[in-house]
Amino acid sequence: MKSSFRKAVRAERLKLKRSPVWLAFIALPMISAFFGTFNYLNNIEILKSEWFSLWTQHSLFLCYFFMPALIGTYCSYLWRLEHTRHNWNSFLTSPLPFPALYFGKLAQAVFMAVLGNLWIFFLYYICGKLSGLNSPFPKDAASWFLFGTIGAVAVCCVQLFFSLVIRSFAVPIGIAMAGGILGLWVTNKGMGLCYPYSLYSIGMRANNPNLELDIGAHLVNSAGYIVLFAALSVLYLRRHEISAN
Amino acid sequence: MITLQMEFKKIRRKKIGLTMFALLGIQFAWLLWSTNNPNEQELLQGWLGHLQSQPLICAIMMPTIMSVLASRLADIEHKGNTYKQLKTLKTAGALYRAKVLCGFLFLFLMTAANFLFLLLLGYKYGYVGNPDPKAYLAAFILQIACCLSLYLLQLDLSMLFFNQMIPLVVGLCGSMLGVILMYLKTYSFLPWGGFLSSALVMMDWNPDTRVITYYYRDYTPIELFAVAMIFVWIVFFYTAGKILFTRKES
Repeated sequence: MKSSFRKAVRAERLKLKRSPVWLAFIALPMISAFFGTFNYLNNIEILKSEWFSLWTQHSLFLCYFFMPALIGTYCSYLWRLEHTRHNWNSFLTSPLPFPALYFGKLAQAVFMAVLGNLWIFFLYYICGKLSGLNSPFPKDAASWFLFGTIGAVAVCCVQLFFSLVIRSFAVPIGIAMAGGILGLWVTNKGMGLCYPYSLYSIGMRANNPNLELDIGAHLVNSAGYIVLFAALSVLYLRRHEISAN
Repeated sequence: MITLQMEFKKIRRKKIGLTMFALLGIQFAWLLWSTNNPNEQELLQGWLGHLQSQPLICAIMMPTIMSVLASRLADIEHKGNTYKQLKTLKTAGALYRAKVLCGFLFLFLMTAANFLFLLLLGYKYGYVGNPDPKAYLAAFILQIACCLSLYLLQLDLSMLFFNQMIPLVVGLCGSMLGVILMYLKTYSFLPWGGFLSSALVMMDWNPDTRVITYYYRDYTPIELFAVAMIFVWIVFFYTAGKILFTRKES
């Protein structure tokens, strides 16, 4: 299984070679960081908590609405090749077990989500320094990154499932966008930890850096969604007759 | 007409209408949530409040919804590799027009449903008085124009690029820009800022009394120019798309 997984990851990497899909993960956080910092500097007399205030400006919209949709775009792209022409035939007849094929794709999605998150924090640090923040970089950022990434893995699993089942490239992205917006409402009602699209923004403490995160609930729910949607995806690959287009 | 009919035949059973109304459903849910349990002041200014909040919600959601719609309509040809074959049957201009018209019908219906929902919501809550027909009609036309400009931009990108990730990421970035511009300005010359320029009603929040007062916007010449830009973008994207599509090889 281990070597099958490695082969699947290598195959996925080959499929993505010279494809500038990572550019999206660079561009979107940059827009958020640029305007977030601009807004922070314009309202510096109201926003007094330095790094924490800057974080709210950087993360609010990005984490709630756009990161889930961006992850959704990447997941759609990962299955797009399979949904095109007769590629399902070659994918399903490849000499690798279905779980390895699926986890190969999941590994790519998670890799990109982690890179995206690292980029968000790098921009946060640079923008903070450029804004003249002299206080030390918050240690809590490590926790935001860790739990944000765990939440992002859950979103990856959900979106990979939707992109596998729905042949269209665009529809799962619409679902992710809608999921992110609904997440705002669900989080506002205090049920964010039960909803996959909110796990990312809650983990990142978007708009609320002082939030006391219920770590146990976050981990259990994230793991639950990861296992559930990974199992559903593998089951779908096994049981369903996926016809080549 | 035949070309347009052909477009609708191609998207049969693709559930594009269902997808669009599902996304619109999220917008309705958002409106319901944000207007829930109105107080006396909100009942008094409810009709105006709708005209202020509607463009803001659209600025966040519509760039992505339009990118999904355009991608669904254009991707059929990419997947089937049918561009070249279609061009042997009809002129490229006619094909492009049909795609534009097909998308326009969708966005017209969506906007109509959107405004119908606003009216139903207002009457259900019992807002004081009646909506101002002139303002609602103007807001309706401006929303259609904004959506059309974004749809044309997305259609051009979706038809030009085989990799649909590019237009969809542009749509997402547009949504992001729309929401950020909302905090910085009341108008914008960018296609994604059209919703801000077209907001006919503004609000004034008094931090001491915590009361929001809505009022009709007095357009300055530069803001009027920003509104005119929406129509300039429509003409520009349509012309550019038609030329690019005609020149496209396959």
